[in-house]
Amino acid sequence: MTITLLDAARVLDTCAAGVVLIGVLIAGTRSIGRAILLVAAQAFLLSATVACVGLATGDSHLLLGSVLTLASRGIAVPLALGHILRESPVRTERNPYLSPRLALIAAIVIVFVSAIAVDSSALSGSLGSAVEAPHALPASVAELLTGLMIVMTRRKGLSIVVGLLVFENGLALAAFSLTYGMPFVVELGATFDLLMVVVVVTVYARRMLTVFGSTSTDQMRNLRG
Amino acid sequence: MNEMAVAVLLLAPTIGGLAAWRLRGRTVELVTLAAYWVSAAAGVGLALAVAHSGRIVAWRGVVAIDALGAYVLVLTLIVAGLALWASPRYIHHELVDEHLRPKDEGRYYALLLGFIATLMAVPIFDNLGLLWVAIEATTIVSALLVGMNRTPDAIEAAWKYLILGTIGVGFALLATLLAYASSVHVMGESSDALNWTRLIAIAPSLNPNLLRLSFVFALAGYGTKAGLVPFHTWLPDAHSQAPSPVSALLSGVSIMVALYALVRFHLVATAGLGPGFSSTLLVIFGLLSMAVALPFMIRQEDLKRLLAYSSIEHMGLLVAGIGFGGPLALLGVALHMGLHAVTKATLFLSAGELVQRYGTRRLSAIRGTLAVAPVAGGALGGGILLLGGLPPSGIFVTEFAIVIGGATHGYGFAAAIAALLLASCFVALAVHGSRILWGHPGPLESLEAARGIGIGSGTALRLAGPLLAVAALGLWTPGPLATALDSIRAILGATRV
Repeated sequence: MTITLLDAARVLDTCAAGVVLIGVLIAGTRSIGRAILLVAAQAFLLSATVACVGLATGDSHLLLGSVLTLASRGIAVPLALGHILRESPVRTERNPYLSPRLALIAAIVIVFVSAIAVDSSALSGSLGSAVEAPHALPASVAELLTGLMIVMTRRKGLSIVVGLLVFENGLALAAFSLTYGMPFVVELGATFDLLMVVVVVTVYARRMLTVFGSTSTDQMRNLRG
Repeated sequence: MNEMAVAVLLLAPTIGGLAAWRLRGRTVELVTLAAYWVSAAAGVGLALAVAHSGRIVAWRGVVAIDALGAYVLVLTLIVAGLALWASPRYIHHELVDEHLRPKDEGRYYALLLGFIATLMAVPIFDNLGLLWVAIEATTIVSALLVGMNRTPDAIEAAWKYLILGTIGVGFALLATLLAYASSVHVMGESSDALNWTRLIAIAPSLNPNLLRLSFVFALAGYGTKAGLVPFHTWLPDAHSQAPSPVSALLSGVSIMVALYALVRFHLVATAGLGPGFSSTLLVIFGLLSMAVALPFMIRQEDLKRLLAYSSIEHMGLLVAGIGFGGPLALLGVALHMGLHAVTKATLFLSAGELVQRYGTRRLSAIRGTLAVAPVAGGALGGGILLLGGLPPSGIFVTEFAIVIGGATHGYGFAAAIAALLLASCFVALAVHGSRILWGHPGPLESLEAARGIGIGSGTALRLAGPLLAVAALGLWTPGPLATALDSIRAILGATRV
């Protein structure tokens, strides 16, 4: 079976919508375990899309990138976070600054505003994309903002990290919709950095567990002025 | 030859760091020093090559070092040397006080070398994507150092630094992507489409909308790492909670390296869009940073936070100065970068010395130090006066140059605000500095502890020497340095002279 460029564009658009939808669900969940699974699902979707466009354009570095995404964002990172989650006594977001129901609504608003505000036609023609996927750029902006919202409105360290990963997935989607990926060395370096960030996060989550008894950021309000 | 030097520059501290992880005592110090000196030799070699031929390119165009890059590289090596020099004494004290566990010693040196390696990687890459990778790597390694002694405050600071740093730098990645996208229609998807040397060369044909957006995200992203207001909230926490030699690297070099990255984006944006857009933004955020840092400096109760807020102020001044443009302001910026790096690093080291002896960071306790600990106290108090811009020291001269340069280059009003803020910061620092030197001493018990400080001539040289150099540079600039500063000014002002 051959995949044409038009098919690839359609896949990219559809997957971008899927990633955003999952992002909204993450904003609306209290369970940290479910949030981690959802973030992993986003990475699987991203990886599948990259592979699809890679097949369509015959670009082998995209196929490598797809494997890289799957292995790092889809498998290694969620496993590491799940490991920490099993050690921590509290596995749900108890009293976030914004309740999950409100966060869900806020995320939906973000999606609508991004869809209207980010007019990718203004940039079209100037982009390096080999295929036109008009919805991918607004989708990545929505995903970035959803991630930021999650980071800012959660109290548990692990939830904040999940928000960070949503943000990172938004970056990956943006990279892909703007240029079909970065040069491979840069992608390799960026993935390595992401993995290292997660390693350091788990180190500190563990220290928070021993020093504070939980990964909640509530006790961390000493540093002021 | 240059290829080899670049490899040695980065590999020596990396390998040394890996080797240091499990070592202790004298062995780990020797391994660290060896790695540092090998790397420093390579760095100096590269800088001399740059001085000789203007710009060197290596690794098939992945690496490109011009005078600005070489300057940042050499400053990194100088501050790294000071931090490593101070480390054995500092770490020994922390181990005795049981703030660190014995096995932390090797890890400390390993991470410190890793931090230095990532810092040195930033100014040598031509590829903006790899430059981003290097900056993100500095955050990762230094976050581990910030939380080294596992107090609740240190963990809080490291956590904030890690999360805010990662998000900030995420925006910088977006900026990099947009720069890439703005060039792809001209250059295709080749990997040198991200090289700043190429981007500047083809800047007029880049997509202006994407370029504008790219600069805005670079300002937010690298501005976060450089500590510009309003992205600065992590900085006073991380810089004050880190072990003092790490604070020296964070406040002396790490923010300057982020500024370097921002400058590269500024230069591409100016070449593509003309001078107005990015310069105006730099001036606005620079003045804002100075204005917000000022009240926190006046009312500060914590010695290391005082120094951290002063870093925000100085970054603001540098960013505003780059926005002003014009030969005089840019010359001031070039020299000020170096003077701030060395002064701030030295101050964090003498602050570390006193904080360990007094057992507190409270400014109300660390007073009248001249009578008790003349060398460390004198270096700290005197250094704070220098930092504020005590005439006729080097920092006074550079601040003066930046303000006058701005006023004569079409930014009269902004320069006037900058001058006012600088004067206020000087008063704030002068008050703190003179209390540290001559103030009424604090509680007796800490005084007795401080009196016991034995400082050898090596330590005295390390604490006072750099400050004397900074003071002297206001009156006299050696020839080679003047030549280097001139070429840096030319790079900073490439499109507008």
